[in-house]
Amino acid sequence: MNRNARTAVSVGMLAVGMLALGYASVPLYRIFCQVTGFNGTTQRVDEAQAATVIPTGKQISIRFDGNVDPDLPWNFRPEQTTDRVTIGARDMAVFLAKNTSDHPVTGVASFNVEPEYTGKYFNKIQCFCFSEQTLQPGEEVRMPVLYYVDPELLKDDDAKAVEQITLSYTFHRKVEEGS
Amino acid sequence: MKFGDRALKRAMTLKNTLLSIALVAAPQALMAQEAAADAAPAAADAAPAAAAAAAWTPMMPTPGKGMPVDQGMTFQTQYSPLGEYAQWMHNGVLMPIITVISLFVLFLLIWVMARYNSRANPVASKNSHNTLIEVVWTLVPVLILVGVAVPSIDLLAKQFKPAPADALTVKVTGNQWFWSYAYPDNGEVEFDSKMLNEPGAPVINAGVREVGSLPTDGPAQLEVDNRLVLPVGEPIRLQITASDVIHSFAIPSLWFKLDAVPGRLNEKVLFIEEPGVYYGQCSELCGVKHGYMPIAIEALPREKFNQWLVAQGGTVGGKQEAQAAPAPAAAPVEAAPSAEATGPAA
Amino acid sequence: MATTADTFQAHAEPHDHDHDHDHKPAFFARWFMSTNHKDIGTMYLIFAIFAGVIGGAISGIMRLELAEPGIQYLQWWANFLGGKEATFDEALHLWNVLITAHGLIMVFFLVMPAVIGGFGNWFVPLMIGAPDMAFPRMNNISFWLTVAGFISLMASSLVPGGTGQGAGVGWTVYAPLSTYGSQGPAMDFAIFSLHLAGAGSILGAINFITTIFNMRAPGMTLHKMPLFVWSVLVTAFLLLLALPVLAAAITMLLTDRNFGTTFFDPAGGGDPVLYQHLFWFFGHPEVYIMILPAFGIISQIIATFSKKPVFGYLGMAYAMVAIGVVGFIVWAHHMYTTGLSVDTKMYFTAATMVIAVPTGVKIFSWIATMWGGSLEFKSPMVWAIGFIFLFTVGGVTGVVLANGGVDDNLHDTYYVVAHFHYVLSLGAVTALFAGFYYWFPKMSGRMHSEFLSHLQFWVFFVGVNLIFFPMHFLGLQGMPRRYPDYTAAYAHWNEVATFGYQIMAVSVGLFFLNVIYAFTMGRKAEGNYWGEGATTLEWTLSSPPPFHQYETLPVIEDKGHH
Repeated sequence: MNRNARTAVSVGMLAVGMLALGYASVPLYRIFCQVTGFNGTTQRVDEAQAATVIPTGKQISIRFDGNVDPDLPWNFRPEQTTDRVTIGARDMAVFLAKNTSDHPVTGVASFNVEPEYTGKYFNKIQCFCFSEQTLQPGEEVRMPVLYYVDPELLKDDDAKAVEQITLSYTFHRKVEEGS
Repeated sequence: MKFGDRALKRAMTLKNTLLSIALVAAPQALMAQEAAADAAPAAADAAPAAAAAAAWTPMMPTPGKGMPVDQGMTFQTQYSPLGEYAQWMHNGVLMPIITVISLFVLFLLIWVMARYNSRANPVASKNSHNTLIEVVWTLVPVLILVGVAVPSIDLLAKQFKPAPADALTVKVTGNQWFWSYAYPDNGEVEFDSKMLNEPGAPVINAGVREVGSLPTDGPAQLEVDNRLVLPVGEPIRLQITASDVIHSFAIPSLWFKLDAVPGRLNEKVLFIEEPGVYYGQCSELCGVKHGYMPIAIEALPREKFNQWLVAQGGTVGGKQEAQAAPAPAAAPVEAAPSAEATGPAA
Repeated sequence: MATTADTFQAHAEPHDHDHDHDHKPAFFARWFMSTNHKDIGTMYLIFAIFAGVIGGAISGIMRLELAEPGIQYLQWWANFLGGKEATFDEALHLWNVLITAHGLIMVFFLVMPAVIGGFGNWFVPLMIGAPDMAFPRMNNISFWLTVAGFISLMASSLVPGGTGQGAGVGWTVYAPLSTYGSQGPAMDFAIFSLHLAGAGSILGAINFITTIFNMRAPGMTLHKMPLFVWSVLVTAFLLLLALPVLAAAITMLLTDRNFGTTFFDPAGGGDPVLYQHLFWFFGHPEVYIMILPAFGIISQIIATFSKKPVFGYLGMAYAMVAIGVVGFIVWAHHMYTTGLSVDTKMYFTAATMVIAVPTGVKIFSWIATMWGGSLEFKSPMVWAIGFIFLFTVGGVTGVVLANGGVDDNLHDTYYVVAHFHYVLSLGAVTALFAGFYYWFPKMSGRMHSEFLSHLQFWVFFVGVNLIFFPMHFLGLQGMPRRYPDYTAAYAHWNEVATFGYQIMAVSVGLFFLNVIYAFTMGRKAEGNYWGEGATTLEWTLSSPPPFHQYETLPVIEDKGHH
């Protein structure tokens, strides 16, 4: 291979590498958000991890927010708008969902918390958002979220001033593959 | 007919409403004196909610306040503490610096053109290095930028200050091409806000009246049928999302701009210092009528705001509710508001 | 230490009349299958001017519409372009199509083809003493890919795009407006247009890097290369690193639109904000891709007409490298209002301000180059001095916008429009005209009219300032971008801007007049028509240079030690 071809191939590899990085950014961004709580991404923990957390004496207000994409024929709202919980203690919130159409519909939820820098302290043990949900025509269900606020929040200079965390969900119609 | 339809639909909340109206009736009398343009007293008649809603008269906008002014060259006058600080940052720090830099460069250019043109200086020097001056013109800008960065970072840090737990929470949803507002802690007060049509121009929103058909209407392109009504003098938790594509909720005179992103809730604290009508416009390209979904905020003193809430069939329980003990998980939303225990003096 | 201007002692003998050197292929083979860097450069320039006229005409339609409140002309244009009575919504959609087309054309089909494809192709090989580009055929492919991209963009305006014809999403093509928010094939054509233009630019970048690394004449070390070559080298690396990310992002848009993926759709776990991150990871380096070659052109011109070597050559070269590197880590300053965390905004505020430092080094070094020089105010010099001032004005408003807390108000207002037109329309385009008048006689062999070029400068200077300076006021007052209509309070400054556009249009007329003058009445140009200050290698050749130059490679002697 002559010198020019060698140079071209090596800088071409650079371009191909950046192209690959462009695609890789999709999973990388998701992982980055999940790890750092960036964008108000909540943390997912298992029972064992949750069991190690010691409740503190401090309380914090939690607000619940439910949205539905216009193309999803559901009603979806939190059972109660706000709740006061003890930091470190697990709590359950319930969202009410109803399929208002005459056919079964599958929905998936996107979610985040605000202020977004509390994302890394908001731990979900169980959530309806972990999987897709199918509702039969007219079916109404109570969807629980089991969560706790990590006491580490109290050590964060910015986050400890937060008096209320909002947990927001938006339900979307599940996108069919290849549609 | 402001909110008339919606108020009728909310007949089931009539009980709460009537109760609240009764509670706000007393301060209403006191309010009347400063309500010259508002014709609010109708709401104090403890009439049925629908009638009260129909009788709500929007505030008269002050020309030049909360809106652009003719031939304006600077920021709109700011009515929030953050806006005042940021405006100082711009007018007091950035503008002087960038003006001086631009004039300095202009002066240097004119100087070299006058001093070193080929007539004045026929033989060019061959000087092309001066380490000292290169270090200076690298370091001086660094120092200037550090000087800018200090207030700039401080300005950003103020955004960390979250709203208190009991702050009024308002949910804003961007749609193609109108805004929807909801007060989740204050009963089912929810409404859409659409731009008023312009007389003689093509209809933007079918079924919406024309601008100027009420004496309280503000400028064309900015005025809406149902304004977002907010209290003054307290932090408000604005939560913003979108139902279709990305929009951006912006009010220049309150130094507020936050994108409405579908599938995601954004939050920012808004603080309005004084009553007035403040206009803004969607600030993220959202399709065909992007230019036709303005925002109009009517900021009222707390008591009048409560009165408005009640007139819409809402409750004034927001502040107390958040401090209440955890409600049982099964409690339905409608029963939760503790308006019964609430006075307007909150 | 060697500097660029005073060290070249070219030993090449320009054999102009040697028929071996000047044998040109027949018309079709020469212009459609061209492998000659100068011919390809010429084609790029003609193409860029053609695209620029279309993009400029579109801004004319926009400025006319914005001259006063209300919708006056859009309806007519929508009827005219659609060939039938258009609805009002279609007329409004046309507005979005116009802003999209204007942005994409000016960025991808005017500035980039002109500075990189045109001047880069013409003068990088000449300045480094190379006979041609490293890969002449690939060079040809790059050009025709760019043309194909332009055709695809034009085609997108003829096919359905949801409400009317064409893609109306802005040059940023934000999801989800560009995915489920835009029905019809117009959007796909527009995205495909970016793919083609992007592929062309990546191939071009590989070509430039290889040429500059491997084909420099003996003695032409990296640290002796003219600054224009440095600027193209840095630009080529920016293209190479940034464009593939755009390609990935817009390919994901295409699959989201057509194949049911959900990269940017929250319904499938995607995030629309991620598109913005990817777009601006490309988009911010992109603005340096447009302005760095302009810096290079200005450096050559300032040195030539000061009759001095560039002041602080190494600092100038590495300032461009620094701008390029830092340009990759500041992208989210375009996204301050998307709901980024405060910490993130602080970082991007600080990082963005850092760019002002190397940019300041360049401004001051240009002035220092003139300092002590013997300045001749030939037309390229006048344009270059105009560039320095206009770019400074655009640069300092960039420092204002860099502050996240201030941008909270100014984001997506006309202040931003004013800012980026000062650095691009008044910056990059001014540098384009400067470069054009500097090199046009070299390329064509004919002298242009100095009087007309000076006149054009002053008319252009007045016109563009009248267009864009009032936009600062509109932005401060809160007028949002991308609006076809506005409330009455914004009328005054919009009227002034539209008036300014008409003046600017006159200056473009003067430009064409000047070109016509040169080809019909212009004197024949000598090899080095700018005299003693013009010291780079292209001035050792005839004007125009022979079809094949440097059959005997020039040797650059290093005698420039200080």
